[in-house]
Amino acid sequence: MRLITSRIVKLTIFSALLPLTYASAEMTSLSDNDLSEVDGAGIGFVMDDFVFSHGNDAANGKIFKISGLNDSDGNAVSINVNQLYIARSGSDYGSILDPVNLGRLSNPFEIDLLDGNDLDVGVTDKAVLQLAAPTKVDVEGTGYSCTDPTKGVNSGDCSSRPSSLEWENGERPDMGLELEITTNSGGPKNLNFNVKSAVFDGSYLRLWGDDNLKMAAEFRLNFYTPELEISTCAQTNQACGSSVKMQDFQLELALGTTFQPLYFSADNTSPEFKGGLTLEISKITHEFINSLNAGVSDGTPGGIAAEAFFTDYYENENYRSNIMIGKLDIGGTDLGSAKIEGMLIQYLDVKFRDLDLVP
Amino acid sequence: MKKQIQTFIIFTLFTANCIAEMSRIDDTALSEVTGQSGVYLSGEVSINTLGGPSSNSYFGECTDLAKSCGARLTFQTQQGGGWFVLDNIKGSVAFEGLTFQVRMIDSGFGGDGALFNKSVMEIGMPESIRMKDFEFTLATGTSGRPDDAGYTQVDLMTVEMSGELTLEGNLLVFPTP
Repeated sequence: MRLITSRIVKLTIFSALLPLTYASAEMTSLSDNDLSEVDGAGIGFVMDDFVFSHGNDAANGKIFKISGLNDSDGNAVSINVNQLYIARSGSDYGSILDPVNLGRLSNPFEIDLLDGNDLDVGVTDKAVLQLAAPTKVDVEGTGYSCTDPTKGVNSGDCSSRPSSLEWENGERPDMGLELEITTNSGGPKNLNFNVKSAVFDGSYLRLWGDDNLKMAAEFRLNFYTPELEISTCAQTNQACGSSVKMQDFQLELALGTTFQPLYFSADNTSPEFKGGLTLEISKITHEFINSLNAGVSDGTPGGIAAEAFFTDYYENENYRSNIMIGKLDIGGTDLGSAKIEGMLIQYLDVKFRDLDLVP
Repeated sequence: MKKQIQTFIIFTLFTANCIAEMSRIDDTALSEVTGQSGVYLSGEVSINTLGGPSSNSYFGECTDLAKSCGARLTFQTQQGGGWFVLDNIKGSVAFEGLTFQVRMIDSGFGGDGALFNKSVMEIGMPESIRMKDFEFTLATGTSGRPDDAGYTQVDLMTVEMSGELTLEGNLLVFPTP
């Protein structure tokens, strides 16, 4: 019996191997050249033909409310969101809801896991999670003006295109948040934020775990719009005069770097928990800061490294924040342009707290 | 038993000689393969409209006003720091026509489509999406669990949504180099 069994096994193996001898798949080796093109891929996101809108409209069964806020006397403040919208530019304060694209196929919104050892990331031996908007591009051949939606290609370094006759959707949405605030003392009062043809190109958020057991962040927020308007107009008359208009508005905010990360947390330090948020950027230092004498290296290798580090820190434009307003208009009065350029945040420790007006 | 073994041997011999030829599919043949691969979803998702399964000093049925009945998510960004809380998540979202499919893009997009020339995963926003008593509260707390001793929570704000939303478009997802 055992003999028969072992024969069966042999036969089966033999018959199984037989067909294999005919099937010869060729395996070829990957050359260095092929391998050099293998790269860690991220995930790209593009919203095609996108429209979002919701607002409080009790007559049509729509509710959109924010509650839980109190005024300085401790009375509840109720906020109705009249409209929150994202639509194609030319929306006329969200009344015309045509579709818009967000992100380009060639330059999408992206979620990526970066290698911290890459020189342009710079967090040694750590993986870094990156959420990024479309990047800035070369002006030549690909770039569009960040603020002026009437200009064509070669006019700036933003990749998102404005809505045009050839490409109606464009990649620059109109966005708005229109609130109606009712307090105990009066109301309802309106407060509206509307932006036209908004661009976020070049913005990103990088997150990683710090050695201090904190979540560290490097945050760049670029925001460009031909017009940012804050008004107190009624929902039915959004174009009324009681508004602040900032034309050609450019915000380039740099919060945190790899050597001076931004920490974001809920405050748990006070004896009585207030639940405020904290934003923190620790002060700038370097391993060999003591090898500098009035900012100049003492000649030791450490001193030379420290001097190079601080020279880059003070000269690198990427660490600086800018706010530029082409034209500021308050209630029809033109106040001209305003600029805050080259702001370097060297230290930040912000704690949000409740105003303890009620004892 | 013997018969069975014989049958098995004969069967094995026969199959050993069956060699099906596997042939290559060339690019032209492959290009004609199309999959009507798509999913169309409709449904309703309800989260804790009556209350969750937990019942303790903090959680309970929604009819018990002293208790919290919604779902809860907490996270901490620093060791020893406070906790961010997304509390009391409840309500329902009904949608009609959420689609998933693979879409080939080789035109459109203001000229980007022809250059892109690849397939993407497309998530089509539903034709209609309706929320009913959907709400959540943003808050901060002293520790991860609300029934921990000495737990304090500060509610920052509550957002409430109901009714038909305008949400149109297709989310395209694809790998980037």
